[in-house]
Amino acid sequence: MPLATRNAILALAITVAIIGTIVAAINQLDRQRIAELDAIQTQLATDTLSIETQFALLEEAPCEDLSVGSELTQEVSSLGDRLGATEARLGSDNQEVIRLKKQYTLLQIRDYLLTKRLAETCDVEPVIALYFYSNEEGACESCDRASYALSYLRQTYPGLRVYSFDYNLDLGALKTLVAVERVEERFPAFVIEGTRSYGFEDLESFQERFPEELFELASTTATSSANTRR
Amino acid sequence: MLMGTSALMSLEVLAYPFVFLGLYFEVFLLLTFLSESARERRQRPAVTETPKIAIIVPCWNEEDTIDGTVKSLLALDYPKDKLQIILVNDGSTDNTKEVMDRYQGNPQITVIHKKNGGKHTAINAGIEVAKDAEFVGCLDADSFVAPDALKEIIGSFDSPKVAAATPAMSVFQPKNILEQMQNAEYIIGIAARHALSAVNGIYVTPGPFSFYRRSVIEELGGFRHAHQAEDMEMALRIQRAGYEIENAPRARVYTKVPRSVPKLIKQRTRWTTGFLRNVMTDYRDLVGNPRYGALGLMVLPLGFAAIVGGAFLFMVALFALFQGFFRTYALTSGVPLSYTLAPRLDPDLFYVPVTFILLASVVVGILSVALVLIGRSVSNTPAKVALGIVGYTFIYAFIAPFWLMRSMYDVLTGKRRAWR
Repeated sequence: MPLATRNAILALAITVAIIGTIVAAINQLDRQRIAELDAIQTQLATDTLSIETQFALLEEAPCEDLSVGSELTQEVSSLGDRLGATEARLGSDNQEVIRLKKQYTLLQIRDYLLTKRLAETCDVEPVIALYFYSNEEGACESCDRASYALSYLRQTYPGLRVYSFDYNLDLGALKTLVAVERVEERFPAFVIEGTRSYGFEDLESFQERFPEELFELASTTATSSANTRR
Repeated sequence: MLMGTSALMSLEVLAYPFVFLGLYFEVFLLLTFLSESARERRQRPAVTETPKIAIIVPCWNEEDTIDGTVKSLLALDYPKDKLQIILVNDGSTDNTKEVMDRYQGNPQITVIHKKNGGKHTAINAGIEVAKDAEFVGCLDADSFVAPDALKEIIGSFDSPKVAAATPAMSVFQPKNILEQMQNAEYIIGIAARHALSAVNGIYVTPGPFSFYRRSVIEELGGFRHAHQAEDMEMALRIQRAGYEIENAPRARVYTKVPRSVPKLIKQRTRWTTGFLRNVMTDYRDLVGNPRYGALGLMVLPLGFAAIVGGAFLFMVALFALFQGFFRTYALTSGVPLSYTLAPRLDPDLFYVPVTFILLASVVVGILSVALVLIGRSVSNTPAKVALGIVGYTFIYAFIAPFWLMRSMYDVLTGKRRAWR
């Protein structure tokens, strides 16, 4: 066989092998990411169950250690960020992503209920916002902007708890939540402190839907910390 | 929080075929480099016989460099009575004539002044004078040769089937990043030409110090204008006639290269349009033709794909950039800039965007560096290549699309540009 032909065939085989190795490495990395998400979710499920058990044992909320509930919410939120990045990489129709999203949604609902109970029992008043979006093509043009605005608000005002839900996720608990909160199939949909609203125009008008104490609390905190620094 | 992002079609997938072809060609070059045939070429000794040689130096306004070029030719390790140097002034309008005339008394040197007619006419005028030379070489007047280069390159003509031989070209005293970048590229060229010579896949005999068997030039005819790519056209004509083009990896020649981006774009536009016009018109029959082996089935089609693909991918990247910019603007509009622009350096490995294109580009990059090191090693070129590799990796991709698109525009519209 001429050298050129032999090398052309060999080069093709080697190139395919290199490409195959790269694809396998990326798949392995994705599997590791999903396993990591799985492990976090299992841990969070245990943590949630632990708090719920404390409720049951004490027959009231464990108000002495409120930071546990707050940390749990932060961890759920951080898990959401990771899941969001994974969804962007693998696609929202990936079966593993859908499975993880269902678990995550359950975690969010449980955390939401816990936060509500802690708020009622322990005299703390976090501002709670439920956010319903849709990934279906053309169903929600302003969901990306609403998500970004909520990220900004959540980071700027620590007193705000945001729970975001994929409206179309096939999950019984989510359907019940939608029914209980009477959320219509219009996107983006929000339930802010129990009040339903739909659509997103801009950040300024969106902020009007939140109670003023959320922003006052933040400015008070900022002023007092500035005074402390002085 | 999960973002309600609508699915955006990934443009990345459009790059996959080109990444595959680039990787494939690099693997082919490396495999061929390792072959017995290439090893024999590397071990080929310099010539001991000294046939009659003529070296033609075509000049057009080269007053600054011609003197150095001639001095390097006079310093060649070759019997003086066997080496004729022919300086052809192609109607220069600067002091080239005066500089050349200083060599009029040298018995080794013949000086010809002629009306400007283009590089190919200058070379042909030199060939006319070199009647008794067995081999004819060309040396651009901005290039300088190593003393042993001639004996190395003549050693490549051991078979009568060999009609031409190419040297190991690198950049003369590269200083700025652009020159360093081109040096890395030229040294990859040394490795590539060396490997391709083992499968007779060379498609250009470059102006700096390529040699031809005079009898073959007589048989095939002299140089042609060939869309300002006379060296490529001659190589393709030789290939079509069934001859072979060899490479002498240790025949070092150093050439001056453009020192500014506009000049580089102009030079490369000339090369690229020359390639496209020759390959798409007069030598179309070679492309995809199994009779011409690696040249017809791989080198020419991949060269064409690289030009079209490079321009296409740049357009796609530009589109993606604008799309991303407008999308981000729409997304962040109304949110304080202090939040949008705040650096988010997340050390978490989870968020590192390890994609197919990223990993494949790393592999292509590693193989490119291997080719630079191979090129430097086989030619014994004394070059520091680290800065050049950095420039080649991070700058080349941003400049090359401009000459690729300009070339395609020129070819499609029939636009002709001046040489300089």
